[in-house]
Amino acid sequence: MMEDLTLIQLWKSYNQQMEENLQLNKSNAAEILKIKVKSAIVSMKPIKLFTVLVGIVWVFFVDSVLFTTFDYVNTFFLVSAITQVVLTKLAIGIYLYQLALIDKVDVENNIVTVQEKIANLQASSLWVARLMFLQLPVWTTFYWNEEMLSNREYFLHGVQLVVTISFSVISIWLFLNIKMENREKKWFKILFHGKEWDSTIHAMGMLDQINRFKK
Amino acid sequence: MPMTADSERFIAMLNSNKGIVYKIANGYCKNEENRKDLIQEIILQMWIAFPKYNQQFAITTWMYTIALNVSISFYRKETRRQSLNQTIPADVLIWEQETDNTRLADGLKSLQEFISSLAELEKALLILYLDENPQQEIADILGISVSNVSTKINRLKEKLKQKLSSQKIT
Repeated sequence: MMEDLTLIQLWKSYNQQMEENLQLNKSNAAEILKIKVKSAIVSMKPIKLFTVLVGIVWVFFVDSVLFTTFDYVNTFFLVSAITQVVLTKLAIGIYLYQLALIDKVDVENNIVTVQEKIANLQASSLWVARLMFLQLPVWTTFYWNEEMLSNREYFLHGVQLVVTISFSVISIWLFLNIKMENREKKWFKILFHGKEWDSTIHAMGMLDQINRFKK
Repeated sequence: MPMTADSERFIAMLNSNKGIVYKIANGYCKNEENRKDLIQEIILQMWIAFPKYNQQFAITTWMYTIALNVSISFYRKETRRQSLNQTIPADVLIWEQETDNTRLADGLKSLQEFISSLAELEKALLILYLDENPQQEIADILGISVSNVSTKINRLKEKLKQKLSSQKIT
């Protein structure tokens, strides 16, 4: 086919130009070989590292409060704090595990396999968001106690109930609906905009592309 | 620090096939500064994988695979920049002189623009095709079947033909 030949000829001319003009700076290349690669976890952006560290400190703090007050603290606080700390631990764990696994992806494997693995791991950041939203209701229940519930402040009880039910409905709805299939929806875009979500959004697009490419 | 036998072998291999790294980086990254970063990242990842290179496969296949994988996942800028935040040399691959403005160069420009406009995986496929890799090898590098490669190449050629003919280049 003539067009084929033209294309290949065009590309060959590019190769020819490269042959004539492209030079490898060997000493600069040798410098690259001396670079010590840090893991993704160690080389996290300071703000993300700070957030993870605050999360870990928080988990330790709540754990120690629970440990020292377990015998006499009221049930509402206990259940709320345990729920919150377990979900936070899960979210931190998933985030760090995903970063560690991305580091281990072998770039020598075929493109579809490697890209699918990376994109799946990257997209799993959505799980972190889902878990963080799921803990919303316990922030409206940890301060409850028997004395508060037995008094006759019906208006305050009503307000409290509305707040807790609203938070519960929102958090369960978000937990169930934060998924790739909804990424074109307006609420999803509002929730996950900004630079920190760019990689996750791109990864979801990449997974779509891979699925189409495999067919 | 003197170079080891391994690093000398690696640099020689890189020098013989530098076009692969340049072409792929150029296809995936139009911004010059980012492209320099991408080239460095590709070389670094190749160097890390070099001890595991299985000589029963062609070195070019190995290089295409790594260069394409690194380029496609280049969007994870944060990790990349952080892993390269040590002092690194500016230019590794240097284009010595500008090409002349012939009709052929214009055609090449259009072809490169077309490549840049493609989605990541189609881009990989077209670069491998234009470099005249056998379809079986393209299928192995991409991880899809040979018949799929063939179908997709035909579709891409059709798209490309339409673009180039609309610009009266072919």
